[in-house]
Amino acid sequence: MAELSFTLNGRPQALTVDSGTPLLWVLREQLAMTGTKFGCGMGLCGACTVHLEGSPIRSCSYPAEFVNGKNITTIEGLAPSEDTLHPVQQAWLEMNVPQCGYCQSGQIMSAVALLESNQRPSDDDIDKAMSGNICRCGTYPRIRKAIHRAAELSVQYYQPNNAEAGAES
Amino acid sequence: MSLSRRNFIKSTALLGGGIAIGFNLSACSKSAPYPNMSATALQPNAYLQVTASGEVILQLHKAEMGQGVFTGITTLAAEELKMNPALITVQHAEFHPDFRDPEFYVMITGGSSSARLSYEPVREAAATVAAILKSAAAEHLNLPESSLSLLDGKVVHANGETAFADLISIARGMPAPTSVSLTAPQDFKYIGHYNQRLDARDKVTGSSQFGLDVQYPDALTAVLLRSPSFGGKAKSFDAIAALAKSGVRAVLNVDGAIAVVADTYWQAKQAASVVKVEWEAGPLAGVSSDALRAERHSLLDTESGKNVEEKGEQSDARGETLNALYDVPYLAHATMEPMNAVAVVDADSIQIWTGNQAPDIALSAIADATGFSREQIRIHNQMLGGGFGRRILPDYLVEAARVAQLSGHPIKLVWSREDDMRGDFYRPNSSVKMSATVDGNVVTSLQAKVAAPSIMGQFVGAVSNTLLPQWLPNGLHNTLAGLAASSDPAATEGLVETGYQFPYMRTDYVMQETSIPIGYWRSVGHSQNAFFMESFIDELAVRTEQDPLQFRLNHLTADSRRRAVLEEVATRADWGNPLPGQFQGLAVHESFKTMVAQVVSISIEDKKIKVHKVVCVVECGLAINPDIVHAQMEGGIVFALTAALKGEITVIDGAVQQSNFHNYEMLRMNETPDIEVHIMASAAAPTGVGEPGVPPLAPALANAVFAATGQRLRQLPLKLV
Repeated sequence: MAELSFTLNGRPQALTVDSGTPLLWVLREQLAMTGTKFGCGMGLCGACTVHLEGSPIRSCSYPAEFVNGKNITTIEGLAPSEDTLHPVQQAWLEMNVPQCGYCQSGQIMSAVALLESNQRPSDDDIDKAMSGNICRCGTYPRIRKAIHRAAELSVQYYQPNNAEAGAES
Repeated sequence: MSLSRRNFIKSTALLGGGIAIGFNLSACSKSAPYPNMSATALQPNAYLQVTASGEVILQLHKAEMGQGVFTGITTLAAEELKMNPALITVQHAEFHPDFRDPEFYVMITGGSSSARLSYEPVREAAATVAAILKSAAAEHLNLPESSLSLLDGKVVHANGETAFADLISIARGMPAPTSVSLTAPQDFKYIGHYNQRLDARDKVTGSSQFGLDVQYPDALTAVLLRSPSFGGKAKSFDAIAALAKSGVRAVLNVDGAIAVVADTYWQAKQAASVVKVEWEAGPLAGVSSDALRAERHSLLDTESGKNVEEKGEQSDARGETLNALYDVPYLAHATMEPMNAVAVVDADSIQIWTGNQAPDIALSAIADATGFSREQIRIHNQMLGGGFGRRILPDYLVEAARVAQLSGHPIKLVWSREDDMRGDFYRPNSSVKMSATVDGNVVTSLQAKVAAPSIMGQFVGAVSNTLLPQWLPNGLHNTLAGLAASSDPAATEGLVETGYQFPYMRTDYVMQETSIPIGYWRSVGHSQNAFFMESFIDELAVRTEQDPLQFRLNHLTADSRRRAVLEEVATRADWGNPLPGQFQGLAVHESFKTMVAQVVSISIEDKKIKVHKVVCVVECGLAINPDIVHAQMEGGIVFALTAALKGEITVIDGAVQQSNFHNYEMLRMNETPDIEVHIMASAAAPTGVGEPGVPPLAPALANAVFAATGQRLRQLPLKLV
């Protein structure tokens, strides 16, 4: 057993976990945050992607103890409010990206991390950042378009003085 | 009493593939209460209700697995209710007899039939609700019905508007009209125009609920240890070490598998890894996929098989004979969401929460396994994290119900990716001898002889025990399975009724008896048979020194739908004028009543196939939601590229060798080509789009590889030498 305290989507969490438990299962089972998905358990598909201090990690194979004292962001923590989506989510909606939708939390978390480090990604940049995320429904062409669209929306999103800050949904 | 008199199989007619068999479920009452029945709602049919507060609720009788029924079927209802589809509340329907598919006779999502078979009944159900509401408003307002119209959940009239909520108590006393008229296609406001996805917002915020996301109070998590080789059962097990692990509640033998029950998934997995099990070898011990392929090749030489189609006179098959042997391997569905189910078993009821494509079949399977009656079981369907045919099978629901029943706990059963990869019902492996005779430069015959296991034989054998009366002797079930198997239309669909015109045409099927479990995989028999047919057609074009497009057009009738999509795709892709360094390949295929043609552009780099672009033309009748049609073609193409370039499940000693995405790889973003989709304009009723994007891709790609390298690759996945 291990004591675990970390910040999840801006809120402090404290709980006891079995040593070695991957972060994914702590999120999904102990904290009932089910937006982050289980796909492969080996870090091969990206469905479980969350952010550790803003960088993407595969939570299915990341021991929960390692996030002690750190900041974790999941899909549930992206949107600034109930009515306003993150620009990446907004772009996903505009492009009708999801089909079954199961992989999309992980896709979106990878895309957000990409855009935070690279505001104008090229197609090659997108290939590099997104090829760790599998989509069995084959939404890749739309994900690519949505990332380019999100880059446009993000210019407004990250400039709070702009009247169009935030993306109405 | 004879089989035919009992009318066990209502239909074995094939409707363009998919599940072609129906069962007579005589025990079910026709007067079952409608789902989500409410004493205060207007509810004239199983599909729709308007609550006392005016909320319009649609029971979605098809499973949403990405193919778009959540939006498409809601759009059909919205059209007749004259309301924005987004204003309708959609619930996943529980089983009801009225939701049984008129062609398959069970409540099922498959065969790319949802849009086609919902097009009239859902609009009629909505038009009935609309008519009753108008009658109620006419009485309530004392105005002629002709002066009233519906708009976004209200009745609009000369004096203003009236909310549905104010009409429900009157409407509930109104008789349903005996007939309704449907909106004319030229007046459609939403059908053919609506371009949103109603399930998208929840899917981008992570709030959409899949089976694995269901929370049930005090449910324990179970993982199962199954026999390494198919069909084997546990003889004995030692759980001493497992029971000492944190959080473990029970380890028990459940119908030959070992269930490890714990507080959390991780605890169950850790404990499962230290359970020692002695397995009894299953019936497939010793079986390998290589040996099965060799056996099929031998069957093609030694067995005449069953004739499936014959056109023209054999004597017309003149000239030199060409033979080509084609092969495809087993494939896994690999849905992103592994199989799972929550089961709660009480003294007199079972409740299941899961994502499943065929709740009707699952109800019977669970009843059969648990001793409960169908009426005591409820299945609460959820969003499916991919289906592709895998979730037609009820195996994982049955497992969850049995673990819950035997352990005495509410159970969340979770399959690992490894369980999923090794416990699938696979796309059959298949070998085909394609033959033609060529007289000068004229092809005088085209023949296909298939050797493959029968999905239907396995499926009927597996589900007849649950769907047919218990008192029947077991032998009859086997007889039934045998009857179905030897003429399984899925084995040859897409090789027959191609529309191609040659003087003599013939297709035969030899059933292979031995196989690991097989099932319905996105586009079923078409997934391999299009590869065989459209690759060989390309071979014939080359042999007769004709352009592959022109060769096809030369052997199609003037009014062929195939001709129309071919001509369109040739124009759209600039056929015959590839970009410098690139090579084109072409294929066309009809499946599930939809016609699709594709042109693939590739180059060869370091002996590897690089796919640059796929241009796709689809003719699917009226597109209810054109953007979803585009998405299904795009997705089908990516799905098919995975199969054509990477997909192969191999078997050694009765066990699948692949386990996860490192050795059963999926196409990824960096390998995905540009995809351009064009929908042929049509006013005809909608046909399927979930599957038909898949079949033409592999042959179009293989034909492009031939154009680039001169290598005719007759096996999938494609491997350059």
